[in-house]
Parts: sequence; structure tokens; C-alpha cells
Amino acid sequence: MVPVQLRTRSAEQTAEVGRRLAALLEPGDVVILAGGLGAGKTTLTQGIGAGLEVRGEVTSPTFVISRVHPAQQPGRPSLVHVDAYRLGGRVELDDLDVDAFIDDAVTVVEWGEGVAEPLAADRLHVHLVRAAAASGRDEQVLDDPDGQEGRLITVTPVGSRWGGVPLRSALAPETSSVAPETAQTVQERNAARL
Amino acid sequence: MADDPLVVGIETSCDETGVGIVQGNTLLADAIASSVEEHARFGGVVPEVASRAHLEAMVPMIERASAEADVALDDVDAIAVTAGPGLAGALLVGVAAAKALALSLGKPLYGVNHLSAHVAVDQLEHGPLPERCVALLVSGGHSSLLLVDDVTAAVEPLGATIDDAAGEAFDKVARLLGLPFPGGPHIDNAAREGGHITLDFPRGLTSNRDLERHRFDFSFSGLKTAVARWVEAREQRGEPVPVADVAASFQEAVCDVLTRKAVDACRATGAGHLVIGGGVAANSRLRVLAEERAARHQIKVRVPRPALCTDNGAMVAALGSELVRRGREPSAWDLPADSSMPVTTVVA
Repeated sequence: MVPVQLRTRSAEQTAEVGRRLAALLEPGDVVILAGGLGAGKTTLTQGIGAGLEVRGEVTSPTFVISRVHPAQQPGRPSLVHVDAYRLGGRVELDDLDVDAFIDDAVTVVEWGEGVAEPLAADRLHVHLVRAAAASGRDEQVLDDPDGQEGRLITVTPVGSRWGGVPLRSALAPETSSVAPETAQTVQERNAARL
Repeated sequence: MADDPLVVGIETSCDETGVGIVQGNTLLADAIASSVEEHARFGGVVPEVASRAHLEAMVPMIERASAEADVALDDVDAIAVTAGPGLAGALLVGVAAAKALALSLGKPLYGVNHLSAHVAVDQLEHGPLPERCVALLVSGGHSSLLLVDDVTAAVEPLGATIDDAAGEAFDKVARLLGLPFPGGPHIDNAAREGGHITLDFPRGLTSNRDLERHRFDFSFSGLKTAVARWVEAREQRGEPVPVADVAASFQEAVCDVLTRKAVDACRATGAGHLVIGGGVAANSRLRVLAEERAARHQIKVRVPRPALCTDNGAMVAALGSELVRRGREPSAWDLPADSSMPVTTVVA
């Protein structure tokens, strides 16, 4: 399936992508987030949490490894927010201890690439990269106290669950899509980083 | 009940297996086993490994604490245990051990809140807590400002981090700078050599607009990102990264916001005392800056010694002893481990 690429210009817009993504998510769905420190993984998950209207503040789960946010709306899934950062590389999936929740929750795994794929045959991979890091230009660091640097977000659906789901129109009605040639460059750069 | 109840405290919310024994505000024993080295072997924390390590360390730690304190377990007044918040599987081991101990000895069981215990531990160092204080709890998993009118019953959250915990920011920035885990002490050390150049890293949630909604909340995610960008930019230009200067400027940004908001919270609530706890309380710059700023407003700062700031069993015992002394109801035998226990629940 074709990846959808989006460019956001602020943390609010990155959270908004999460909020829109939440409208598509159903119980049992798995979202795997990748991207370096400060790429916006938790910000995107905060948007998903807001969209699902789950209980509790969505904050970084790095320390507790996973946090369950129960559903507050009837018929909506709860959110299981997992962070594999502290787990290091050599880890068995069982160690994540999230399969108990997976059927009736949306499971979002930060730093989940290479770890969380066996959780589900159908899943969304979301790559986040800071726009300046992607372009190789990163001079105006300290002029930007709110961290309002843009992000390039690539959403790649995997499995039949996502066949025919209009990801692009659902995620990017307003946020400007990346021009094809830029998208190509970013894709290559991402591939090189993996 | 006696004025200085003898209580065993058990702590297993994360990596440390702690068993402490206190009598009133007197520390008798504080036995700790850490599974950090074991995690290092796996290149990270593995929840299953943490739980197993707690299981293996539990009985030896109980025996060591009992020997250290020269106390027979039969003579204690109660068993206290961290019931949450923390890692679910890790908490479960401590709660199960505490139940078994309390049932077999015929003693009351108190399942307590980890954060309240971090506040109560200061009684072992500086005597009874004042009637009202503000607590700043900063560690790898927590960054909270609490209003504490009664550590056994009335703990009110004033604010908390909306993204990363302060200790987490230290760990992640340490990794960016190539410093080892845990990041806190290494950044503190590196920062001593820094300060030749000052980098004005962002102070999260301090703009007037943010203060309206997040006066006592923290955000360290933007700071982490700013450090990442600064370091990357240097590397891309092929220039060396001045690790000590970046560490010093980063540490200054964290400590500036923590102390500014903590003192503001004291002034807003009329609290004359600020208690600081959690692993980040060991940071030398945080202590100095807190003292400086609090003194300007006649606020007294209470920080326990570093060994009592990090996770330990003595802090759980200290809170347990205070609960017994005040005649609070013990927990039920079906006490659950609650990984997301709200801070307002002191005893589950």
C-alpha cells in the first residue's frame, strides 16, 4: 500500500494528525511509531488520545514502559501507550506484556520498529522526522523556543485491514502535502537511516 | 498504638527492591538490591527481568533489613508496601510479598502511594513535616508539584509534566551527548566543567500564554528537542560538541524551571516549606538554585540525603509509620497493585 506523507508546521499540527488518525482507529489496531529523540512521537500519541477521548494525561511512557488509558466513550477503544526505548534491542515481544489488551484497545508503540511488528499482521507504521534534520539544514536552533520546527510524517499501512481506507484524505485535508520530489528525497533519507 | 510505630516498608515500583524498617521517625534499616546491572546485560530494562529480580531479591532484603535493624519481624506493628504507581509486574511482587508477610505475622497491611512515600521520607531526616508544604518530586518517571497538608490523607496535585519527566530528559540528553546511563549524575559532573559558553535553551511552559493554563505544569520535551537539534547542527558542520557546556546549559534550563515553579507554588499556597524528593533531587545545581530562590521569600527547603531521595523501602516504612501513628485504616486483603494510582490516593 502507498505511504501517505504529510508535513506539519507545529506541535499542534502534529497532534492534529494524531487526532485525525484516531477517527480511523478501531479496537485491535496497532500503530508503530519511529523517529529519533524529539521527533514528535509522544505529541502524535497525545493527539490520538485526545481523538479517542480516553482517560488520563498522555505523557511519555518511557519510564513505565506501558500505560493504559481506559475508554470514556461507549463503543470507543481504550489506548495502550507503549514505549520500547528502555527495552534496548534484544527483547522478546512477550516482554512487552501488551498482548493481554490488544483486542479491545488501540495499541501505540513508540520506538516499536523491529520489536512490535509480530503484535499484528495489520498495522500502521508512522515515521516522524524533524523537517530541518531531513533537509540537512538546522541552523536556527535557538530562535525557536517553542520547538515549532516542522515535521515530516510518513504513514505506511500494512495488511488488508487498511485496504481501501482513505488515509490521505482523512489525515491531510488541510495540512500541506509534501511535493512528490521532496517526498522521494525524504523517503530515500529515511531508508538510509534505517 | 505507640507514638513511634515499628513498621516494615517494601518498595518494588521500578528497578530497586527496597525493604526498610523505621520506628517513628527513626531509620533502623534500609536494604536495597538493584536490578540495574542485570538490565545493563540486556541493554535495557526488561519488565520480566525486573519482576524476576524483585522476586529473587525480596526474601534476602527482608532478612538483611531485619538483621540490620536487629528487629524480629514478630515485633513490628505493621507492613507497608508501594501499591502504585509504577511498573505493573514489579509492583505485584512487592504487594504479594507484603500480603504474605502481613498475613503470616497477623499484622495490618498498608498499600501506599509511591509519591506520598517520597514526601514522608523527609521525616526521617528533618523530623515531622510542617502542616502545609509543597513537594517537588522529580525522578525518571515523575515530575510533580504537590500541595501536602497531611501526608497521610491530604495530598493535592498542583501540576505535573505534560510530556517527559525531568529525570527522563536527563537520561535522553545524556545519550545525545554520549554520556552513560543514568544520565543525571553524569550530566551534573560534566556541567561542573562547563559554562564557558551559555546556550539559551528553551524553558517549557513559562510564557505568559502557557502560564494561564499550565502555571505549575512542566514540559521538557521541547528542551530535549532543542538540545538534539543543536548537537546535530554542530555534528553536521563537522564541529566538536562542547559536551560540558551543553550539559551545563541543559541542566540550568531544567533547574531554572523546576525551582521557579516550585517557589511560585509555595507563594501561591502560602506554604513555608518546600520538600524536594526523587532521584533528580540529588542534582547539585537544583539544590543550590532551590535554596537561593526559596530564601528570597523566606521559604525553607528540605531535601533528604541522596540515598533517601531515590527509591527505597525506608520511605514506604516512614509513611506506614505515620499512618499507624495517626490511626488510619489499613488496606483490605484484596489490595491490588495499581500501576496508575492517582496521587490523591495515599492508602489504597
